[in-house]
Parts: sequence; C-alpha cells; structure tokens
Amino acid sequence: MGKRFIPILFFLIFNCSSDEQIIENLNFDSVVNLHAPASGGQGQSTDGNFTKFDFESGMQTMSESEWDIAFRTTTIIVNGGSKFSDEEPERTGNAGAYIYNGAISEVSFASDEFIQQDTELGYAIPTGSGNGWYNYSGGPNHIISPIPGKTIVFRTRDNRYAKIEIVSYYLDAPNDPNAMDNESRYYTFNYFFQSEFGNTSLD
Amino acid sequence: MVRIIFILLLLVFSESIASQQYVVTKIDTSNTENLEKVIITGTRTKRILTSLPLNAEIITKKDIQRNNSSKLTDIINEQTGLITISDFGGVEGIQMQGLDSQYTLILLDNQPLIGRSAGTFDLNRITLGNITQIEIIKGASSSLYGNEALAGVVNIISEKPKKGFSGEISSSIETNNSFENIANLSFKRNDVYISIFHNIFSSDGYNLNPNDELRTVNKFNNNTTSLNFGFKINNKFNADINFRKFDQKIDNISTNNLSGESEIEEENIHFKIKYKSNLFSSELNYYASNYNTYEYLNDISGILYSESYYDHYLQKPELINTINLKNSKIVFGLGYKSEKLERTYFNEKPELNTPFIYLQYDQNLNKKINIIYGARFDKFSEYKSQISPKLSGIYLIDDKNSLKFSMGYGFKAPDFRQLYFNFVNSTIGYSVLGYNVYEELINQLIDDGQINNILVPIEEFNDVLKPESSISINLGMNNNINDNFSIKTNLFLNKVINLIDTRIVANKTNGQNVFSYYNVNNVVTYGLEANSEYKIDNNLKFLLGYQLLYAMDTDIQNEFSDGLVYARLTTDSPAFQLKKTDYYGLFNRSRHMGVFKLIYKNLSHNFDINFRTRYRSKYAVIDSNDNNYLDKYDEFIKGYFISNLSFNKYIKNNFIISAGAENIFNYMDPENIPNIRGRLIYFKLKIYSN
Repeated sequence: MGKRFIPILFFLIFNCSSDEQIIENLNFDSVVNLHAPASGGQGQSTDGNFTKFDFESGMQTMSESEWDIAFRTTTIIVNGGSKFSDEEPERTGNAGAYIYNGAISEVSFASDEFIQQDTELGYAIPTGSGNGWYNYSGGPNHIISPIPGKTIVFRTRDNRYAKIEIVSYYLDAPNDPNAMDNESRYYTFNYFFQSEFGNTSLD
Repeated sequence: MVRIIFILLLLVFSESIASQQYVVTKIDTSNTENLEKVIITGTRTKRILTSLPLNAEIITKKDIQRNNSSKLTDIINEQTGLITISDFGGVEGIQMQGLDSQYTLILLDNQPLIGRSAGTFDLNRITLGNITQIEIIKGASSSLYGNEALAGVVNIISEKPKKGFSGEISSSIETNNSFENIANLSFKRNDVYISIFHNIFSSDGYNLNPNDELRTVNKFNNNTTSLNFGFKINNKFNADINFRKFDQKIDNISTNNLSGESEIEEENIHFKIKYKSNLFSSELNYYASNYNTYEYLNDISGILYSESYYDHYLQKPELINTINLKNSKIVFGLGYKSEKLERTYFNEKPELNTPFIYLQYDQNLNKKINIIYGARFDKFSEYKSQISPKLSGIYLIDDKNSLKFSMGYGFKAPDFRQLYFNFVNSTIGYSVLGYNVYEELINQLIDDGQINNILVPIEEFNDVLKPESSISINLGMNNNINDNFSIKTNLFLNKVINLIDTRIVANKTNGQNVFSYYNVNNVVTYGLEANSEYKIDNNLKFLLGYQLLYAMDTDIQNEFSDGLVYARLTTDSPAFQLKKTDYYGLFNRSRHMGVFKLIYKNLSHNFDINFRTRYRSKYAVIDSNDNNYLDKYDEFIKGYFISNLSFNKYIKNNFIISAGAENIFNYMDPENIPNIRGRLIYFKLKIYSN
C-alpha cells in the first residue's frame, strides 16, 4: 500500500518546487521591450546602430564606451574583443559571454574559463537558429523564439558578472507571437547583475 | 463525359494455365474466410495466412468492395495500426509500426513501385478497381525484398481473370465533383488469358479554409490503365506480360499570382516466364518501371516563373526458384536492380546498380512447428553492402491457438536526393547539398565566395553515408476462443539505427546556412497490436482493433535524461528542466489508434451495411514551445474519430447499387489536418457479368 503514495508524494513535491520557481523568478530584474531595430534586412548586410545596454543602470545607453552588451535584431554583441563587421561599435571594455545550458535560476556563478569575446571571425554568442539563444521557425510563420533553458552569462566591460534569460523577441512579450500581429525586435529578458567587482557569484 | 474504347485481341492455345501450388502448413480454423486467405508476400510462396509465422494482414476484395474504397489510402486507414500521413503537396504515405512511409516497400504484383516525394510514397496513386487483395507484412523484410523493406511491405495483388468472358463497369459520383469510372474486361480459356482495365478519376479537390483563395487540394484527374496477357507454352511453361500506366494532372496554384500544372506519369512493364514441375518451380522475371513528373508555374502574364522535373527509371531482372521437398521448401533467387534518376537540382545523372541474391528455407519440423530462415545479400557500390537475415517460427498449440515469432533485419539505402542534391532555395537562399557531391559543391561555393565559415570539416564526408537499418521483432499469438470469437495479438519492436537527417554544415555569406545529410538518430518504436473479431450470427460481425505505440528517438531521450531540455509555459514564467518522462516521442505519432467495424449482411434481401470508425489519439507535428523536441507541454493536435458508413444492394447477380458517406460526423480540423475533408457522400453503380 505504502508504495502507491510515493508517486503522489513526488507529484506534490514537484508541484511545490515549480511554485517556488515562480516566486524565485520575481527575484530577477527584467527589461521589457528593449527595441533593437536595424535597417537592411534578413540575408542582407544590416547597418544602423546597435541598442546598447548597461547592466549597472539596468538601462539602454547612448554612450560610446560605457556599455556592456548591445542588440541589433537577433544579434547580441559584447563590449570586449574586436569587431566582426565594420559598422559595429568599437569594443572598449573587457566584456565577454557564454551560453549556459540551464535555467537562469540554476546558474549560481560565472566561470571565466568559458567566457568568449567577439572576434573578426564571429561573435561570442553564436547567431543562427538553434546555435545560440533562439530558434527560427522558418516559413510560413517566421517566428524567432528564445530557447527555454539557455541562459547567457556575461562578464561586463569592467569585470563584473551578470546572467540573462531572454523570454521574448516581440513587443509586450506575447505567449504565442505571430509575425502578422506582433512587432519583432523587442527584447524582454530577466537578468541578475552582481555589482561587486570580480565576484563571480550570481545567486 | 468519359468514353472508354477497348479492343480485345485474343489468342487461342490449349489446356489450363491455372495451377494450384501446395501449401506448407494447413491449419483448421472455423472461420471460413480465413481458411481461404492465402498470402504470397511473406515467403514468396503461397501460404495460408494463419499458418504464417509473420505479422501479416490481408485485405480482401470483399473488404474493398463492401467499403466502396476506391483508393489505397481509404482502406489502409481502416487497418489496425496503419495510418496514412499527409506530406507536402497533398501526398499521403503509410505509417507502419510508427515508422515513416519511406521505410515501407510498396509492391504491385510482387514488383516494386517507384516514385517517392521526399521519401513518401503517395498511396492515392493506387486505384483499387482491379485489385484482388492487399497483403501487408509488418516488420523488417529485407531478407526477401532488400532495400526499403525496413518497416514492412505492402503488396497489392491485381485480379486474375476468371474463365470465359467477364466484364465489369462501374461509375461513381461523390462530393466535390469527384467522378470515377471503371471498366474491366477479361477473357480466359484453358491456355490463354487477356484482361484490360481502365480507371478514370477526376475531382475538383476541396478547400478547407474559405478565407484563403488557395485550395487545400487542387483540381486533379488521373487515369490508370492496365493490360495483362498470359498463355501456356506447354505443360510446364507459362508466360505472362503485364503492363500498367498511370497519369495524373493537378492544377498547380501556389499564390494568387502564380499558377500552372503538375503532371505525373508512371509506366510499369513486367514479363514473366514460369516453369513448374512437382518438385521444382522457377520464375524468370523482367520488370521495368519509369516514374516521371513535370511541374511549372506561370506568372499572371503567362511567363514561366519556375519549372521542375523528375525522371526515375528502374529495371530489374530476377530469377526465383522454389524446391518443394517433403517437409520443407527452399526458395532461392538472384537478380539485378538498376536505377537511374534525372531531375532538377541534380548536376549529374546518378545510376545505382545492385546485384542481389537470397535464400530462404521454410521447414516443418513437425506437425506443430514451422520455421523459416533466410537471408539476402545486396551488393552496393556507393555504400556498404547489406546482408539481411531473418528468422521466424510458428507453434500451433492446438487447432485453435498458435504462437508466432519473427526477427529480421531491414535497411533503407540513402536515396538519390540524400546523395546528389544540389538545391538552393530561391527566395530565402539556403542550400542543401547531397552527401556524395558535397565536397565538390562546397568547394565551388567557397571559390565563388559564398561561404562564410565551415562548421563541419569537409573530410567528414570522405566516409560513405551508411544505410539506415533496423532490427525488428514481432511476437504474436492467435486465439480462436470459440467458433465466433477470435483474438490476434502482437508485440512489436523496431530498433532503427543510423537514421539520416540534415544538419547545418556551413554558413553562407548571405546569412543563410548550407545543409547536408548525415547518419545520426537512433530510433526505437515498440508497442502492441490487437485485433478481435466477434461473429454474432451469419449476418452480423464486429471487429475491433487497437494499437499502442511508443516511438522514441533514443538520443533525444538521453538529452532529456541528462537534463539538457527545458520548457517555459509563458513568457513571464521561468524555464524549467524537463524529465525523461516528459519526452513524448517522435512527431506525428499517436500513442493510441483503434478501429471498430460492424458488418451486417442481409442474405434474404441481398444487401449489406457496414459501419467503420477509426480513432487516433493526440499527436503533434511541430514543437510549439521551442526547445526543438516534442514534450508533454507542447501543443497537441486533438485526437479524433472518423466514421464511415456504406450500403450495398445486390440485384440479380449483375448489379450492385451502393451509397454511403465517409466521415459521416463531419469531423474537421482544417488548421491542423488538411487531409481530412468534411463529409463525403457518394453513389455508385456497378454492372458485372457473372
């Protein structure tokens, strides 16, 4: 008889823990609708400015040097390393990044050994469907969707650490976006920023 | 209107061609229909179905007629565990034991049919007007049939003429302006026969989404003609010639501005000379087939926008010999299969020549045990040659119950597309390159400056692409509980390795990717199949069938086990890790499928009514929560029932008036299931000589 209760117990425990996760999520800061437009288009070289972001202020910045990461359409660059293409902003800091396979709450510290910087050969955060943080559905829907369980761990320009979880690429983060009604190139992400210099702890 | 003109040329010889082969094992069943069911596909010799150790099914002409099925898809969907799945362009292929259409070999009178669209064999191409039975072997059968018989074999057997003159014409009309007209004429004497069959089918197609000007299925028409001729050379030799031609035209409308036509043409010819004595029989076959398609699109001003073609040839001489010993039968055969393909997106005209040889030993150990073992060797030049063994056995516990076991190896060689494709998508700009031409083509792209970086070293393409292969096991039991009630159960397992998939091998400078093929996935499908039949009296019969299916990619399963897969329910809730049990399996597989049939015959008033319903539980065709895999948090397509009803009235042994409805409850899910039309009503009249 006792064995029958075990699955039920597990079920209860599992349910509790997922409730906790929801509460835990509230501990993260979030950025809503960060616009990352570009002129040009898919398959052609895009120019126009990157939307730069500063972890310390938690806001977009126009500064040429005081930024950590920057967005343009699905591409994310870091302020560290060197330019991949000419029209990109100069890298002035020591930022870097890697993608951790796991939920944001599971990343308790950053590891310098994994951190990559942008180079002339490619970005620290790979582009392309399934390579980095998103999947592209292809036709007929053409949806860009963040892959659940991909957490991007960053080192900032000034050797502090942060982690982010991108949840949507569409304005107001709809649950079921479609390319007709929902405007793309709007990032919504949750993040945690460790403000202490050199402290890799991200809990 | 349709006009059919037949010219009969009759030649006269002497004596009978009909020859009855003996059957290895006899089993006494109370069911007279089963007693007559003789199957050839399992062993390449005539065997009584109930004594065959394999997991096999027969669909008889009676079944086809009663249901008024006109296309192979109609009747396949009413078999336990079988379902047709629609693919691009409205083609529908069979899914058997959870494996795709590309892994089931389709035969017509024991000869392979060719012409697949991205692996899918469109069963709508096969008319049932002149079919006497359909034989289905589930489980790997490469030991006799070689390539493609990885999941199983469907063999469509066409009708042999009866003695004297006989003729049959029928005409039917159905919803969507669908018309079918059939004429079948034959003559047979002791020493010669000839038969001609013609079928014309046309339909307006249908549109499930009225807001969309494009039709779900475009207007089409097709013709099937077959011509069979046979004669007796002397007491021991017979000759047969069979010819079949199929052509189809479909409106090709891709947008409001682009329209054209798509054409399919298929021709098969089969020569056979047969020698037969008591101890030994031998059959020399020559079979050739051509399948070609052409399609084009014109823009609004009539200027050609795009066109493509596909032209596939197959030739196959084969010699099959059977030695009849006292308690055993030996079958050995050898042959040579030669294939050639020319098509758009190929730079070359690849040819594939495969000599093969096989041997099968079919032995009755005693009155209760029959064992069959055999193997086939296929010699490939492009990839590793294959040896395909098979072992099966049946134990007749008593005259009502039996146990069956079979285990076999099956393979599917990489197809021409996987080896020779050179495709560039004209609107988006990605490329797909075949494995064997990869090195050459990628170097061209590099020279043209189209490649940004190479993700997979080119040297990886030096090895050959391996055939996909499987080991399959079937374990079955037949129980005749009493004269009126029988149950057949079967457990199955297919372990498939080296499945071929595409992957990104390089990035292009236009931001798109280059794809090529590689051996990657390992898949396992397993489950249970059960069929029961209950006869209330001579007039009323129930049939119930069920299949439980698990179809899993074992590598993906491991990713779930390793905790690498996550899901998120909404954009404002966190991602969470999925467990192994959250993995649902392969796309487009239903865990549960069932069929229920009720057959009522009224012998005093000469009519029959039958009702069939089939069920398919939920399944998914896309990953909706973006973790690339199908898990229980994805959106599923709802399970559904489809029910069909048909009525036939037999008048004076010369007429059948039929009426019926398919999908009588009008189930539709236009967004997700384009191949389920709404309710179809039909009427049919058949006149035949007796």
